[in-house]
Amino acid sequence: MPTAPPTLPDDPGDALAAVGALRRLADRVEDAAVERAVSEGWSWAQVAEALGVTRQAVHKKHARRLGPATSDRREY
Amino acid sequence: MPFERLAGDARAIVHTAVEDEARASGHGSVEAEHLLLALAAHPALLGLGLDRDELVAALAQEEERSLAAVGIAAADFDLPAGHRGPRKPRLAASIKLAIARAVAIAAKRGDRRITAKHLLYGVLDAEQGRVPRALRIAGIDRAELRARI
Repeated sequence: MPTAPPTLPDDPGDALAAVGALRRLADRVEDAAVERAVSEGWSWAQVAEALGVTRQAVHKKHARRLGPATSDRREY
Repeated sequence: MPFERLAGDARAIVHTAVEDEARASGHGSVEAEHLLLALAAHPALLGLGLDRDELVAALAQEEERSLAAVGIAAADFDLPAGHRGPRKPRLAASIKLAIARAVAIAAKRGDRRITAKHLLYGVLDAEQGRVPRALRIAGIDRAELRARI
Protein backbone atom coordinates (compact mmCIF):
# COMPACT_ATOMS: atom_id res chain seq x y z
CA MET A 1 0.00 0.00 0.00
CA PRO A 2 1.37 3.45 -0.91
CA THR A 3 1.90 5.57 2.16
CA ALA A 4 1.90 9.03 0.59
CA PRO A 5 1.04 11.64 3.22
CA PRO A 6 -2.61 12.68 2.87
CA THR A 7 -1.90 16.31 2.07
CA LEU A 8 -3.62 18.40 -0.59
CA PRO A 9 -1.63 18.19 -3.86
CA ASP A 10 0.15 21.47 -4.70
CA ASP A 11 -1.15 21.55 -8.27
CA PRO A 12 -4.85 22.61 -8.38
CA GLY A 13 -5.44 20.26 -11.32
CA ASP A 14 -4.12 17.32 -9.31
CA ALA A 15 -6.11 18.36 -6.23
CA LEU A 16 -9.37 18.70 -8.19
CA ALA A 17 -8.74 15.42 -10.03
CA ALA A 18 -8.30 13.76 -6.64
CA VAL A 19 -11.71 15.09 -5.56
CA GLY A 20 -13.35 13.55 -8.64
CA ALA A 21 -11.56 10.25 -8.11
CA LEU A 22 -12.56 10.20 -4.43
CA ARG A 23 -16.22 10.81 -5.35
CA ARG A 24 -16.15 7.91 -7.81
CA LEU A 25 -14.45 5.71 -5.22
CA ALA A 26 -17.04 6.75 -2.61
CA ASP A 27 -19.81 5.72 -5.03
CA ARG A 28 -18.23 2.31 -5.47
CA VAL A 29 -17.77 1.89 -1.71
CA GLU A 30 -21.43 2.90 -1.24
CA ASP A 31 -22.57 0.33 -3.79
CA ALA A 32 -20.61 -2.44 -2.08
CA ALA A 33 -21.67 -1.39 1.42
CA VAL A 34 -25.38 -1.10 0.53
CA GLU A 35 -25.27 -4.45 -1.23
CA ARG A 36 -23.76 -6.09 1.84
CA ALA A 37 -26.24 -4.46 4.22
CA VAL A 38 -29.23 -5.52 2.11
CA SER A 39 -27.90 -9.06 1.78
CA GLU A 40 -27.62 -9.18 5.56
CA GLY A 41 -31.26 -8.24 5.95
CA TRP A 42 -31.14 -4.46 6.41
CA SER A 43 -34.24 -2.59 5.22
CA TRP A 44 -34.02 0.40 2.87
CA ALA A 45 -35.09 2.57 5.80
CA GLN A 46 -32.17 1.37 7.90
CA VAL A 47 -29.69 1.76 5.04
CA ALA A 48 -30.99 5.27 4.34
CA GLU A 49 -30.73 6.33 7.97
CA ALA A 50 -27.19 4.93 8.20
CA LEU A 51 -26.18 6.84 5.06
CA GLY A 52 -27.92 10.01 6.19
CA VAL A 53 -30.14 10.24 3.12
CA THR A 54 -33.84 9.74 2.49
CA ARG A 55 -35.27 6.29 1.93
CA GLN A 56 -36.50 7.42 -1.48
CA ALA A 57 -32.97 8.49 -2.45
CA VAL A 58 -31.37 5.20 -1.47
CA HIS A 59 -34.17 3.20 -3.07
CA LYS A 60 -33.89 5.14 -6.32
CA LYS A 61 -30.14 4.70 -6.40
CA HIS A 62 -29.87 1.03 -5.46
CA ALA A 63 -33.18 -0.84 -5.65
CA ARG A 64 -33.02 -1.52 -9.36
CA ARG A 65 -29.39 -2.61 -9.23
CA LEU A 66 -29.93 -4.96 -6.31
CA GLY A 67 -33.19 -6.31 -7.70
CA PRO A 68 -36.12 -7.67 -5.75
CA ALA A 69 -33.94 -9.59 -3.28
CA THR A 70 -34.33 -6.96 -0.60
CA SER A 71 -35.75 -7.31 2.84
CA ASP A 72 -37.80 -4.13 2.85
CA ARG A 73 -41.29 -4.88 4.03
CA ARG A 74 -42.74 -1.51 3.18
CA GLU A 75 -44.26 -0.60 -0.13
CA TYR A 76 -43.46 2.67 -1.85
CA MET B 1 -29.32 20.21 -24.10
CA PRO B 2 -27.01 19.80 -27.09
CA PHE B 3 -27.64 16.06 -27.44
CA GLU B 4 -31.02 16.73 -29.07
CA ARG B 5 -29.30 18.63 -31.85
CA LEU B 6 -27.28 15.59 -32.85
CA ALA B 7 -28.44 13.42 -35.73
CA GLY B 8 -27.32 10.35 -37.62
CA ASP B 9 -23.71 9.35 -37.06
CA ALA B 10 -23.02 11.76 -34.20
CA ARG B 11 -26.05 10.51 -32.33
CA ALA B 12 -24.93 6.91 -32.89
CA ILE B 13 -21.47 7.74 -31.51
CA VAL B 14 -22.92 9.26 -28.36
CA HIS B 15 -25.17 6.20 -28.07
CA THR B 16 -22.04 4.00 -28.22
CA ALA B 17 -20.45 6.16 -25.52
CA VAL B 18 -23.51 5.52 -23.35
CA GLU B 19 -24.15 1.84 -24.01
CA ASP B 20 -20.76 0.34 -24.82
CA GLU B 21 -18.44 2.53 -22.79
CA ALA B 22 -20.19 4.10 -19.81
CA ARG B 23 -22.63 1.30 -19.04
CA ALA B 24 -20.14 -1.48 -19.73
CA SER B 25 -17.49 0.15 -17.54
CA GLY B 26 -20.00 0.38 -14.72
CA HIS B 27 -20.06 4.17 -14.50
CA GLY B 28 -23.24 5.83 -13.28
CA SER B 29 -22.61 8.77 -15.59
CA VAL B 30 -21.47 9.22 -19.17
CA GLU B 31 -18.35 11.38 -19.28
CA ALA B 32 -16.25 12.94 -22.06
CA GLU B 33 -13.80 10.05 -21.63
CA HIS B 34 -16.50 7.61 -22.77
CA LEU B 35 -17.07 9.71 -25.87
CA LEU B 36 -13.32 9.68 -26.50
CA LEU B 37 -13.29 5.86 -26.29
CA ALA B 38 -16.26 5.60 -28.65
CA LEU B 39 -14.50 7.95 -31.09
CA ALA B 40 -11.19 6.03 -30.89
CA ALA B 41 -12.92 2.98 -32.38
CA HIS B 42 -14.89 4.93 -34.99
CA PRO B 43 -14.15 3.96 -38.64
CA ALA B 44 -13.80 7.60 -39.77
CA LEU B 45 -11.03 8.24 -37.22
CA LEU B 46 -9.03 5.03 -37.42
CA GLY B 47 -6.29 6.82 -39.37
CA LEU B 48 -5.44 8.87 -36.27
CA GLY B 49 -4.03 5.79 -34.58
CA LEU B 50 -5.97 6.25 -31.35
CA ASP B 51 -5.85 2.94 -29.50
CA ARG B 52 -9.01 2.48 -27.43
CA ASP B 53 -7.46 -0.07 -25.07
CA GLU B 54 -4.42 2.12 -24.55
CA LEU B 55 -6.74 5.00 -23.63
CA VAL B 56 -8.65 2.76 -21.22
CA ALA B 57 -5.35 1.90 -19.53
CA ALA B 58 -4.33 5.57 -19.40
CA LEU B 59 -7.67 6.53 -17.83
CA ALA B 60 -7.24 3.80 -15.19
CA GLN B 61 -3.76 5.06 -14.48
CA GLU B 62 -5.04 8.63 -14.20
CA GLU B 63 -7.57 7.49 -11.59
CA GLU B 64 -4.91 5.58 -9.68
CA ARG B 65 -2.49 8.52 -9.68
CA SER B 66 -5.17 11.02 -8.64
CA LEU B 67 -6.10 8.87 -5.66
CA ALA B 68 -2.47 8.18 -4.78
CA ALA B 69 -1.91 11.95 -4.64
CA VAL B 70 -4.17 12.05 -1.57
CA GLY B 71 -2.81 8.82 -0.12
CA ILE B 72 -5.58 6.47 -1.28
CA ALA B 73 -5.30 3.19 -3.17
CA ALA B 74 -8.61 1.91 -4.56
CA ALA B 75 -7.17 -1.61 -4.67
CA ASP B 76 -7.18 -1.67 -0.87
CA PHE B 77 -10.99 -1.68 -0.89
CA ASP B 78 -11.33 -4.90 -2.90
CA LEU B 79 -14.34 -3.54 -4.78
CA PRO B 80 -16.10 -5.18 -7.71
CA ALA B 81 -15.33 -3.44 -11.01
CA GLY B 82 -18.68 -3.32 -12.77
CA HIS B 83 -21.01 -2.10 -10.08
CA ARG B 84 -23.81 0.01 -11.47
CA GLY B 85 -25.80 -2.71 -13.13
CA PRO B 86 -28.85 -1.82 -15.15
CA ARG B 87 -29.16 1.80 -14.01
CA LYS B 88 -29.41 4.13 -16.99
CA PRO B 89 -26.27 6.30 -17.03
CA ARG B 90 -26.80 10.07 -17.25
CA LEU B 91 -24.87 12.45 -19.46
CA ALA B 92 -22.45 14.33 -17.20
CA ALA B 93 -21.22 17.90 -17.57
CA SER B 94 -17.96 16.86 -19.26
CA ILE B 95 -19.68 15.14 -22.21
CA LYS B 96 -22.30 17.89 -22.51
CA LEU B 97 -19.48 20.43 -22.77
CA ALA B 98 -17.69 18.32 -25.40
CA ILE B 99 -20.88 18.04 -27.48
CA ALA B 100 -21.58 21.76 -27.10
CA ARG B 101 -18.06 22.54 -28.35
CA ALA B 102 -18.54 20.16 -31.31
CA VAL B 103 -21.79 21.90 -32.20
CA ALA B 104 -20.11 25.33 -31.94
CA ILE B 105 -17.16 24.24 -34.11
CA ALA B 106 -19.49 22.85 -36.78
CA ALA B 107 -21.53 26.07 -36.74
CA LYS B 108 -18.42 28.22 -37.00
CA ARG B 109 -17.26 26.26 -40.03
CA GLY B 110 -20.67 26.31 -41.63
CA ASP B 111 -20.93 22.50 -41.49
CA ARG B 112 -24.54 21.42 -41.35
CA ARG B 113 -23.91 17.96 -39.91
CA ILE B 114 -22.07 17.13 -36.70
CA THR B 115 -19.58 14.38 -37.51
CA ALA B 116 -17.13 12.18 -35.58
CA LYS B 117 -14.43 14.77 -36.30
CA HIS B 118 -16.41 17.62 -34.75
CA LEU B 119 -17.03 15.47 -31.68
CA LEU B 120 -13.32 14.68 -31.39
CA TYR B 121 -12.48 18.39 -31.56
CA GLY B 122 -15.04 18.92 -28.81
CA VAL B 123 -13.46 16.23 -26.63
CA LEU B 124 -9.86 17.32 -27.26
CA ASP B 125 -10.51 21.00 -26.57
CA ALA B 126 -11.11 20.34 -22.87
CA GLU B 127 -8.26 22.00 -20.97
CA GLN B 128 -9.03 20.26 -17.70
CA GLY B 129 -10.37 16.95 -16.54
CA ARG B 130 -9.84 13.25 -17.10
CA VAL B 131 -9.39 13.42 -20.90
CA PRO B 132 -6.38 15.78 -21.09
CA ARG B 133 -4.83 14.14 -18.02
CA ALA B 134 -5.17 10.63 -19.48
CA LEU B 135 -3.88 11.77 -22.88
CA ARG B 136 -0.83 13.22 -21.15
CA ILE B 137 -0.24 9.88 -19.42
CA ALA B 138 -0.61 8.06 -22.77
CA GLY B 139 2.00 10.40 -24.25
CA ILE B 140 -0.49 11.86 -26.73
CA ASP B 141 -0.03 15.52 -27.66
CA ARG B 142 -3.52 17.02 -27.88
CA ALA B 143 -2.51 19.87 -30.18
CA GLU B 144 -0.63 17.55 -32.52
CA LEU B 145 -3.53 15.09 -32.61
CA ARG B 146 -6.00 17.93 -33.18
CA ALA B 147 -3.94 19.13 -36.15
CA ARG B 148 -4.13 15.67 -37.73
CA ILE B 149 -7.95 15.41 -37.63
